[in-house]
Amino acid sequence: MSSTISGLTFLMLALYGLAAVAALVFYRHPKLANVIPNIITIVAAFTGTTASIIHLLSDANRIYLGNLITSVPYLSFELSMDRLSAFFILVLSILTLAVSIYSIGYLTHYYQRRNVGLFNFLVNLFILAMAGVLLSENMIAFLLSWELMSLLSYFLVIYEAEEAGNQRAGLIYLIMTHLAGAFLFIAMGLIYKSCGSLALSSTLAGAPVWVKNLLFCCFLIAFGTKAGIIPLHIWLPYAHPAAPSNVSAYMSGIMLKIAIYGFIRFVFGMLGAEFQWWGTALLIIGLFTTILGAAYTLVEHNIKRLLAYCSIENIGIILIGLGVACLAFSTGQLLISALALTATLFHLLNHTVVKGLLFMGAGAVLHTTHTKDMENLGGLLKRMPITGVFMLMGSLAISAIPPFNGFVSEWLTLQALFVYIANATSGIKVLLIMTLAALAMAGSFAAASFVKFFGISFLGLPRSENAAKAKEVPQTMLWGMGLLAGLSLLLGILPLVMVRLLDQVVVGVTGATLSSSLRGSSFMMYYPVTVMKNSLTPSTVLIIGIILVITVWLIVRILSWHGKEREYGTWDCGFNGLNARMQYSATGFSKPLRIIFRALYRPNREFEVEPGVSVYFPKSVHYDTTTEPVFEKYLYLPISGALTGFARKFRMIVQTGSIHRYLIYILVTILLLLLYFRCFS
Amino acid sequence: MGYLMAGIIQLAVIIVLAPLVNGIIKKIKALSQKRKGAPLLQLYYDLYKLMKKDMVISETASWIFRVTPYIVMSSVLLAALLIPLSIQLQPIRFMGDVILVVYLLALGRFFMALTGLDTASTFGGMGSSREMMISSLIEPSLLVAVFTVGLLAGSTSVYDMMQNSTLTGLAIFQPVYILTFLALFIVLIAETARIPVDDPATHLELTMVHEAMLLEYSGRYLALMELSAAIKQLLLITILVNLFIPLDEFFHIVNPIMMLGVSLLGYLVKVVAIAVLIAIVEIKTVKLRLFSVPNLAALSFILALLGFFQYWIIGR
Amino acid sequence: MENYLQFLSIAILLSGFILVANKRVDSYIKTFRLQSVLLALVAGLIGVGNIAREGNWEIMIVCLITLAIKVYYIPHLLKKTVQKVQYKVEKDFFLNIPISVLICCALVIIIYFVVPHIDDLRNANLQVYLANAMALVLIGLFFMISRKKAIGQIIGFLVIENGLFTAAILSTEGMPMIVELGIFFDLLTAVLIMGILVFRINENFESIDLDKLRNLRG
Repeated sequence: MSSTISGLTFLMLALYGLAAVAALVFYRHPKLANVIPNIITIVAAFTGTTASIIHLLSDANRIYLGNLITSVPYLSFELSMDRLSAFFILVLSILTLAVSIYSIGYLTHYYQRRNVGLFNFLVNLFILAMAGVLLSENMIAFLLSWELMSLLSYFLVIYEAEEAGNQRAGLIYLIMTHLAGAFLFIAMGLIYKSCGSLALSSTLAGAPVWVKNLLFCCFLIAFGTKAGIIPLHIWLPYAHPAAPSNVSAYMSGIMLKIAIYGFIRFVFGMLGAEFQWWGTALLIIGLFTTILGAAYTLVEHNIKRLLAYCSIENIGIILIGLGVACLAFSTGQLLISALALTATLFHLLNHTVVKGLLFMGAGAVLHTTHTKDMENLGGLLKRMPITGVFMLMGSLAISAIPPFNGFVSEWLTLQALFVYIANATSGIKVLLIMTLAALAMAGSFAAASFVKFFGISFLGLPRSENAAKAKEVPQTMLWGMGLLAGLSLLLGILPLVMVRLLDQVVVGVTGATLSSSLRGSSFMMYYPVTVMKNSLTPSTVLIIGIILVITVWLIVRILSWHGKEREYGTWDCGFNGLNARMQYSATGFSKPLRIIFRALYRPNREFEVEPGVSVYFPKSVHYDTTTEPVFEKYLYLPISGALTGFARKFRMIVQTGSIHRYLIYILVTILLLLLYFRCFS
Repeated sequence: MGYLMAGIIQLAVIIVLAPLVNGIIKKIKALSQKRKGAPLLQLYYDLYKLMKKDMVISETASWIFRVTPYIVMSSVLLAALLIPLSIQLQPIRFMGDVILVVYLLALGRFFMALTGLDTASTFGGMGSSREMMISSLIEPSLLVAVFTVGLLAGSTSVYDMMQNSTLTGLAIFQPVYILTFLALFIVLIAETARIPVDDPATHLELTMVHEAMLLEYSGRYLALMELSAAIKQLLLITILVNLFIPLDEFFHIVNPIMMLGVSLLGYLVKVVAIAVLIAIVEIKTVKLRLFSVPNLAALSFILALLGFFQYWIIGR
Repeated sequence: MENYLQFLSIAILLSGFILVANKRVDSYIKTFRLQSVLLALVAGLIGVGNIAREGNWEIMIVCLITLAIKVYYIPHLLKKTVQKVQYKVEKDFFLNIPISVLICCALVIIIYFVVPHIDDLRNANLQVYLANAMALVLIGLFFMISRKKAIGQIIGFLVIENGLFTAAILSTEGMPMIVELGIFFDLLTAVLIMGILVFRINENFESIDLDKLRNLRG
């Protein structure tokens, strides 16, 4: 069994590599460079899915995949796959499968404009690097793949480098990602210092308390930056809109999750989630990330940036789950911890599926209308009916509405909170109830945002020429989206299948199993018998729902047998002719909430009227409103300002430009270090 | 079989009863204004008439516009299956809990808000925007209140919560329950588009919330939407009365069918009482400015939170 | 064999001193060549030992590469550079030569003061090897500081590299081949780039005085 798994995993890695090479080989022929690598990628993703599912179903926990040891000390790449990494490989492969099908169609609009071969080369290496992070067994391999992942994603973000703002987006991303990298390096040094090994499986049980706390902080900053927690999130809303849509799908769908993987791997596995304040910190950060992410989602009307903020919100929800898991783990309530971790991982998978779908949909909209601004969209449901249906499904799922998968993981998270409120120590209870309130509010913010997202861009009348001329996108793109949309529904109806798989993963991390609490066949899902007695059966909900719809429809038809339908224009208050400008706009839609929470958004508005004959008939009116990027203005700009100021002064005094002086600095430093070594060690 | 019977009784009672609540409220308001008012059963006549009428559908509307009435209706009916009218009726309890109820209502709201935008009407978007805003503000207190009651019962299933409050005597006289009751009452008013949050009787663009979304509906679709709004209102009332004012413990009748009948009668009385309470609130207050709604929501949230603190300190 | 190696390592250090005491560019290159020959001898000795003991040719190959690159190619390259920029004798110094030599002595003393303190080096031979090599590194660095013209910096850099190489080969009895190759490539590119740089500096400022580079500062 284990040889099959390792064989398949290696095959997957090799195929990604092959796809990258193929992309380079055919780089002169856009069509070949698009289709051939993508097909190889699809096969690779399929292999990966199979391998990880086999692994999750088998008894084996850690499978050693082998290593590449060079004669240089420490420089060795050991690969292994345990259930946690298998789960993430599964998530990665599912997303890759869908996105690479989608890419075949999506990349056509780059023909003759850009090098598609280069794109596919970068993407496949990017996926390979992500798989590398997930499969690494020691810190060296982990860090190397991590940095590779960051760099390659940077190149992908600036793939459309000539468009205004993309370079800046890439630069912000690069800086933030290096911040993450730096803290990871510090953490690696600390780990090696305190346990003398670079293996990821080593534990730090015996390390002093301050080392563990420091390590936790390092991981929090490093992985938090990558995951996009507030206030380290600033790169996300820039990078996602700048990147091509399929890359956004990868970045938001899986790259953010890889940070979560790192977190689980290090904080649970290595540090043993020991102290209560860790979980508390995670909860608080998760709370703020969720609520602020959702709040910013609401006022955004660039579709891709809206989705980026929504990712931040969902990362917040994941962190809340992780926080509960961490807290419960540190107080020894393993079952609750397992429940919370299951909820977290399930939500993570769901977010990958749904956000992948939504970003692909945004790409489809962009593909045919060439605009990301909602104020220029509208009426797309009639012009791109299938994309529209998929996007509706995605919107429902991300707003956690049954019967889609988002609801199930939201339900699990709420259950974890509920169970833990009942069993937590008293101070934490207040925090938990506030978290609950934040989740509720963020949930309805998300629903409002996605009503806006779908309602403004897909319903009503088209607000621009481009939107009016929109056409349905190529078949491959539809297949890619359809795969994830179907999966989203399937996971929502049959969650127990996934929860059982997740239980295998969670046992490895927390040591507690939920299996005694999961009863019924795979169509049902009962919930904790041991702690609480709640249950949810989405399949029944759906079946009864369908029965009800049909019944209601029949009854209504019978009652109104003679009723006729007539098509006529929308009520226009007698103005003779409704046009697109009379519709509600995206800005208008979120205005009430923008006004209520103006302390948070700090909206600026510009209002210019060119007076006409009378006050009631102005010649033209210009209205614009922007919300202030609070974190950038009050946190990042002062810091970067202080840094550049310091650098300027420093250059005047220390960096004189004389090479000799620099050499003296070096010599003095070396001598001081040597003397320090002599005197103090 | 038990489930099926229970489900059918649930649905039948709720569908039949729902328009009556509106009738009662309207009648009481009319009486307070020294008017005779419309008959108690006016909404039934309206719905019947609407069913028979032809429909005008906007040219701009997509299929969303046509499926929404059915989805909204089924979502509230599904929720109705999860909220037992009486402790004697076992609902399909493995199907879901109060969280599912909240999110089923969200499903209905989501589609309703979409139709507001679907017809490209000037008013629809306004209605959806405001509806989503009010729901965002009210959702935290709803969940916190429901969780508090759930924590007391040790379960999030509505049936368990009901059972628990039956055990503790007349629940509403305990501080936890009275606070959460008040919080949920505000939620009820906000969610059902009642004064002071919204005025169901007006069609003035400045004040419309719920009605603005339905503006383009006519005929049987309008009937469905109106009926589902009434059902949603009754559902929220049901949650209130059954969690906070359990009466079943006062009757000891051995025959289960007799007991069910008495229990349902008691339920009817409680619903009428709440309807009267709503009517009094409508009479005594005026509609708030839209931007004063947050204050009301904050009040509701504080009440829910205080309720939770009671639970936290006293532990029951 | 230990004796030979010790002698060689001292000799390499001494060549560093010779370098500091010199002021003719030609002799810089000659001294460097001498140092490299000594280095190659070290590698050769260890290499022969290795072949005799375990039939491992790696160090021998390193020795040959050293001969090819450091003894032949780099000095040749430097000579050509020097001819082109027509610069023969270093004229002005920051510090005069006696003081330079004294400072180098101080550096060596500091190193000898520090090195025995390294815990893992209980072997007296190793301590000496390492101390000499490290002293050479510092001398190289000091050489770069004390010379104003760009040629001095190149030579200094090469000396530092030689010091590192000595340290590595003497203390580990041969590093992995791949590391050695990497270092050689690195060195070669560095020298090439610096050679080109010297031309450019000469072209632009009509001198190879490094202080002129200050003008480039923004």
